[in-house]
Amino acid sequence: MSKYLVLVSIILFSYMLSPALLHAEDATDIVKKSQNAFFYPGKDMQARVKMTLTGKTGQQRLRELTMLRKNSDGSDQKYFIYFHSPGDVRGTSFMVYKYSGKDDDRWLFIPAINLVTRIASRDSRSSFVGSDFTYEDVSGRDIESDNYKYVREDTLDGKPVHVIESTPKSSTEYIKKISWIDKATYIPLKEEYYDVQGSLYKVFTAEKVDTVGGLPAVTKRTMSNIKSGHKTEVVFENISYNVGLSDDIFSERYLRKPPEKWIK
Amino acid sequence: MASKLTRISVDRPKLIIAAIIVLTIFFLVQFPKIVTDTDPKNMLPATSPVRVYNDEMESLFALHKDMIALGIVNDKGIFNQDTLTRIASFSEEIKKIRGVVIQDVMSLTTVDNVLSQDGQLIVRPVMDHIPISKEELETLQKEIYDNPMLVGRLVSEDKTTTAIYIPIEEGADAKMIADSIRDIVARDKGDEKYYVAGDPVARDTFGNNMFIQMGIFSPIAGMIMFITLYLMFRNMTLVIAMMAVAFLSIIWSMGLLIGVGFPVHIMSSMIPVFLMAIATDSVHIFNEFYFRLKETGDKKQAIIDTMTVVGPPVRYTALATAAGFSVLILMHIIPVKVFGFFIAFGTIVIRLMSFSLIPAMMMLTNDKKLKAAAERENEEGGSGSTWLRKLGETGFHRYRSVTIAGFIMLIIAIYGISHIRVNNNMVSWFKKTSEIRQADTVLNERLAGTATAYIVAEADTPDAMKNPEILKSIEGLQRELEGSSVVGNTMSVVDIVKRVNKVLHGNDPQYDTIPASTEEIAQYLFLFGMSAKPRDLDNVVTADYDKANIFLQLKTWDAIAMRDILKKIDVFKASHPNVKLQFKPAGISYFNMVWNDEVLYDMIKGFIIALVVVLIILIINFRSIKWGIISYIPLLFTIVLIYGFIGYIGKDFDMPISVLSALSLGMAVDFSIHFIRRFQQRYAEVRDIENALIWTAARPGKGIIRNAILFASAFSVMILAPLTPYITVGLFIAGMMIISSILTILYLPAIIRIFKRWLIYN
Repeated sequence: MSKYLVLVSIILFSYMLSPALLHAEDATDIVKKSQNAFFYPGKDMQARVKMTLTGKTGQQRLRELTMLRKNSDGSDQKYFIYFHSPGDVRGTSFMVYKYSGKDDDRWLFIPAINLVTRIASRDSRSSFVGSDFTYEDVSGRDIESDNYKYVREDTLDGKPVHVIESTPKSSTEYIKKISWIDKATYIPLKEEYYDVQGSLYKVFTAEKVDTVGGLPAVTKRTMSNIKSGHKTEVVFENISYNVGLSDDIFSERYLRKPPEKWIK
Repeated sequence: MASKLTRISVDRPKLIIAAIIVLTIFFLVQFPKIVTDTDPKNMLPATSPVRVYNDEMESLFALHKDMIALGIVNDKGIFNQDTLTRIASFSEEIKKIRGVVIQDVMSLTTVDNVLSQDGQLIVRPVMDHIPISKEELETLQKEIYDNPMLVGRLVSEDKTTTAIYIPIEEGADAKMIADSIRDIVARDKGDEKYYVAGDPVARDTFGNNMFIQMGIFSPIAGMIMFITLYLMFRNMTLVIAMMAVAFLSIIWSMGLLIGVGFPVHIMSSMIPVFLMAIATDSVHIFNEFYFRLKETGDKKQAIIDTMTVVGPPVRYTALATAAGFSVLILMHIIPVKVFGFFIAFGTIVIRLMSFSLIPAMMMLTNDKKLKAAAERENEEGGSGSTWLRKLGETGFHRYRSVTIAGFIMLIIAIYGISHIRVNNNMVSWFKKTSEIRQADTVLNERLAGTATAYIVAEADTPDAMKNPEILKSIEGLQRELEGSSVVGNTMSVVDIVKRVNKVLHGNDPQYDTIPASTEEIAQYLFLFGMSAKPRDLDNVVTADYDKANIFLQLKTWDAIAMRDILKKIDVFKASHPNVKLQFKPAGISYFNMVWNDEVLYDMIKGFIIALVVVLIILIINFRSIKWGIISYIPLLFTIVLIYGFIGYIGKDFDMPISVLSALSLGMAVDFSIHFIRRFQQRYAEVRDIENALIWTAARPGKGIIRNAILFASAFSVMILAPLTPYITVGLFIAGMMIISSILTILYLPAIIRIFKRWLIYN
């Protein structure tokens, strides 16, 4: 009888010591820190971005753009995107005001007809500029939208990581996301998305993480759709933080006449 | 002179039976290895050009091979809160079914609409929330009916119907998915009617039902044969012997087929039915045996005598049948070859059994009971023999009017044959009252069509699809195609460009056009690509913009529908000689057309060659060109009548009919071989044409009619099957047997009389 008691208490004790319970409290904190490190480094950012969309057969659509970002109050942000290529769309510019807790404002400039139009897109899970990334993947998902669970400590490519499981509170295209978050930098190194059939369908990978101005920066990332075979690779070149972008750059005037100093 | 095999069988019946049992066990143990493949698509190898090109285009444009359509019909209109709520929840539930391609399910809640509102460009699902107020409901309708890309495809013109298009992963079981969809809609039924349609559902449902049908109807057919045989011969052992021959040949050939590693295909699944048909030829042995037994009274002698007279015709009918089916081995569609080979094999097995198992089992039968049963046989009297004698007499005495009537029938039938269409349509393999067929009919009436095809426009240079002139040619082709009665809707990159142009200009209908500059087009498409799902652009244009894909929705699954479309393309090219684009067809409807041409024409070709081979065998059999041709007439006559009839009733020459034509080879020729062989034997004895012909009509003729009735009655049960191919096969087999037996007994006396100088006196 006492043997069983010992056994049971050993099991109970080891269970209490398990990382899942130890970290239960701070799963949400880890995600918060991760979002800050990934989406909000510096006061602002300037980068040249190369985006490669690859279809199942290997055919590619290439996009080259300059991305400017400025953090506003709280978790609000402003983005300015200028397309260099493909050649026949050069000059197309895109601007996003991101707000926490409400829909973004988006504007687009179409040079061929010299038109600025507002674009309404209510779904933050919709594709970002036609890529496998969603708007959320580029600028972050509301912390409140998911429940978080600390799964385990682990290592990924030799780096110690927190493994966190997120489950959306209201139904969306995925039912579960597993993130491998670097313990040192809080950068998500890998994320797996599970669809409503319960199977893995999308994988995010931070393939290259550098340090820019003392801050971690993901310079190469991919999002692969396992099921469709479609893949998007994004390479950030010449990232600079805290370059001193002024608010007036993020305006319709500059959308029509891009700020050359920052675009290059 | 009976064969050695028969002698051994008569002398050592138990040994022969034991040997057969051992061999049968060997074939039987192969059965657990069975692999089935019910997809008719696989009748064309994966390396066939049409499959290779389709695969290429499907991956290039990120398209799906198979799509199920769920039609939702509310006769009071779908634009009410209840119906829309259900559409939304069904769309979500359907995504959860395994095998469904989640991100490409198309419904009111998942397809994007591009619209303009208060100077804003809006790209969002057609219905991004359920409208509640009257105003909201009206706005939704206005938004939808303002976008021509949605009308016909997603919603019907009359607002009563919408569809959820459900692409499925390759290899997913469309029947299981369709069943899950039916479960989902059954859980929350409202005023709406639901229809699950599409070729994959038809195909997989058919494949699934096929084995069930075979499982139900083969035993019933066997049972009816058993009862009919018993009524004819009144002796259980003999009946069992004959049934055993049929079943053993099935076990041997299917065992070999499975053992060698071939999958059981739609065609090979019909082998048992065919072998059962061919095995009924043994009736002639029993028929003669009873007459002989009654005459000699000695069982062993009766067996030897029977085999001596019936042996040669039995051997040659088998040879003709086996040779006819062997021709199929030379065809190039693999399942057709397999089908031909294993039926030929089974036929040979049946013949070996006829000369071994049947005599052996006769030896083991109780003499007294046999004699009692044989007493009833009498070619002079008896109801069966009487009317057969009369039939033979009619042919002989009224040979002129009989022949003229035959000619008239032939001419009428040949005219009917000229009306036969070679066409296959899997959906029509289901009855008009079936769910699948009804779903297809309703959706084709109300929406643009459940069948799909693609026309790929190919240019030589990248970025061609941003050129206004090229887009105008594509648009021109679309209008041309829409002029076809089978095309319900077309959609291409042109429609997207025009839509974006209009929306960016505040919905001004003046801008519902292709812009004049390449840059404008490029930027519109870029904008569209930025706003919509990545797939939306991939589906219609390649990344290099050198190829564009025109979606077609067709109102019918008829394989020949695509031919109409190819014709339209030719017309368009002829009237627009400056268009540098190449237009190539692809997609499932195009595949069906190629399949139709390759498989069905292969069958027709095989059938015609087999007809020639059978004629040659007949000539060899009778060692006479004249008798070969004469014996060929009933077969040819039967075939012409049957196909003339098919032409008149407007039945397409489809897969079931093509299988049927092969069967006619195996059966109809038997009768004339038996008739003429026995006539010649009789004539050698009596030297009187009239006597010999009428005797043949009455005595071997009884075997012929017994064979026909036996088979017709067994296979007429297939008329009760829920799938039309079985009904067709059942009905036509029965018809063919009766017609060819009667034609043989009526016309051979007439023809032999007409040509008696040429045939006999020379």
